[in-house]
Amino acid sequence: MRRRAIGQVLLLAAGLVVLTVISAGSVYLVNQSREDARWVLHTVEVENQISLTQLQLRRAESAQSSYISTLLPDFLTDFENAASQLTPDLMQLRRLTSDNPVQGRVIDEIIQLSTQRIEEFRKTIALAREEHADDAARIVREGTGREAMSHIDDLANQMRAEEDRLFALRTASADRSQSLAASMTGVGSGLVVLLAGISIFLVRRSTRARDAAEEQLRDNNLNLEATVDARTADLREANDEIQRFAYIVSHDLRSPLVNIMGFTSELEELRGDIFKRIATLGRATAGAGGEIEPALEGEDKQLSEDFTEALGFIKSSIAKMDRLITAILNLTREGRREFEPVRIETRELIESIVSTMAHQASEAQAEIRIAPLPDLISDRLALEQIFSNLIDNALKYLKPGVPGDISIRGRTKLGFAIFEIADNGRGIDPKDHQRIFDLFRRAGEQDRPGQGIGLAHVRALVRRLGGTMSVSSELHSGSTFTITLPLAWTASNRNRDT
Amino acid sequence: MSKPVTIIMIEDDEGHARLIERNIRRSGINNDIMPFTNGTAAVNYLFGSDGTGGEHKGTALLILLDLNLPDMTGTDILRRVKENKYLKCAPVVVLTTTDDSQEIKRCYELGCNVYITKPVNYESFANAIRQLGLFFSVIQVPRSAT
Repeated sequence: MRRRAIGQVLLLAAGLVVLTVISAGSVYLVNQSREDARWVLHTVEVENQISLTQLQLRRAESAQSSYISTLLPDFLTDFENAASQLTPDLMQLRRLTSDNPVQGRVIDEIIQLSTQRIEEFRKTIALAREEHADDAARIVREGTGREAMSHIDDLANQMRAEEDRLFALRTASADRSQSLAASMTGVGSGLVVLLAGISIFLVRRSTRARDAAEEQLRDNNLNLEATVDARTADLREANDEIQRFAYIVSHDLRSPLVNIMGFTSELEELRGDIFKRIATLGRATAGAGGEIEPALEGEDKQLSEDFTEALGFIKSSIAKMDRLITAILNLTREGRREFEPVRIETRELIESIVSTMAHQASEAQAEIRIAPLPDLISDRLALEQIFSNLIDNALKYLKPGVPGDISIRGRTKLGFAIFEIADNGRGIDPKDHQRIFDLFRRAGEQDRPGQGIGLAHVRALVRRLGGTMSVSSELHSGSTFTITLPLAWTASNRNRDT
Repeated sequence: MSKPVTIIMIEDDEGHARLIERNIRRSGINNDIMPFTNGTAAVNYLFGSDGTGGEHKGTALLILLDLNLPDMTGTDILRRVKENKYLKCAPVVVLTTTDDSQEIKRCYELGCNVYITKPVNYESFANAIRQLGLFFSVIQVPRSAT
């Protein structure tokens, strides 16, 4: 999964790089083409300027020859115009070609020749003006001028050829730049499309993988639920089994106990008869009869007392065993009772419990404070038993000589109500925190009556109501019992065992 | 004159049977007591070989019934007795260790006349049995349909 994510990032980065390269390249190539175009334009300009220069030269020449033949001052003006135009044109041409040394040399030659030609023209014109038309015509005819002229044309052609070559070169370069730009854009776009394709493929693949994983998760959840249901059913069955077992065992244990107790009492009566007879016999041997109740003496008295003591132990043990069995029976009976969820005003319920314990509380000089408590939907009887057991314990195990202070607080959290029953009593050693919840187990000083059933019973009830309970306490510094119960208990979450 | 009532005691625990008998005697009841230690024998006696109970037509019976029997439940016997036209007039006293309110309710629904929980505490047990004796002497067991 992580590798795939890194791949995605790399892919995106690659796409970004490609796009950047394409953009930079395009900008560069566009600049390049603009440059090429400028150079092409430049070439055209140079050629144009060459033609312009040649034209001026021709104009000067034709004006000169016309003047010589006609001597019309109009032609003289034309000539002067052309001659004066020629020099700036030449200068312009030279400036234009300043970048190219070959052209520079040619242009210098052209300038030189042109200047000569113009000088020649001026000379002939001057001759013509001074009525030496023949001389002028001769000079013209001699043809040195013609030669120079054709040389200039050659040079101009040479320049033009050079410019043509450059033009071709520059056009080609411009074309190259353009096609390079086009191909670069093309390749770049292709790459981007390819990357996008790969990206889409990867995304789809990961989507498929995620769907598969989700499916798997759903299946697992279903399996888990089924497993949990099966386990819960098993547990419930085991629990029912234990309940039945406890019920039958305790029930069957009572039967022999009835006999033991019954016949112990029979023995007690027999004892009375026996010792009465012994006493009577003793009295008879002593010779003193009478109506008075016979009394035992010496060894007989000792025997009688031993007998009574043994019977007393047997009877108290039986009584204890009977209480334990009754407790188990009650617990199993409680475990089999159907819970009935009803809306309960907790504060009212606890106030009524507290009012039934008012006597006990005043004896212990204890004050019971009830904070506002969240209401819930639960089984009323079970809640009554839970709270009355805990409050009863709090009252029972106060520190002697210290006025009791018991507080009952409550709050809600995530669909659960949390109740705290705190006291300032004798506290419970942390090593006993587990033990006190065990059936028939007690902790601390054993100076109060009890079977060790209350907390075991409370915890069983809390569990059946879908809650949990815990204790936090230190010796001599009070205890706080915390009960967490669902705000709305429904028969379906736990009590399906009917 | 009515015939003396015969007490049918259906109790599997011999100790209990002995205790019950002693206490009944102690409270001054001298009626015949027929002990049965299992349900089958008791049923055979009560309903006779033909299963109709006709043999006991006209005899006065009082049944002491334990609910926990090895071969059948006491409530079965109770129901059959109360459904039988010859036996239904015989008072049935259920004597058991079960003090389950559901079971007590069920027994009364089936027609038991008195339900006594066997307390382990001997004094109260003996007292209950004695009261039973008193009850025997007070109640005039009606003659079965003649």
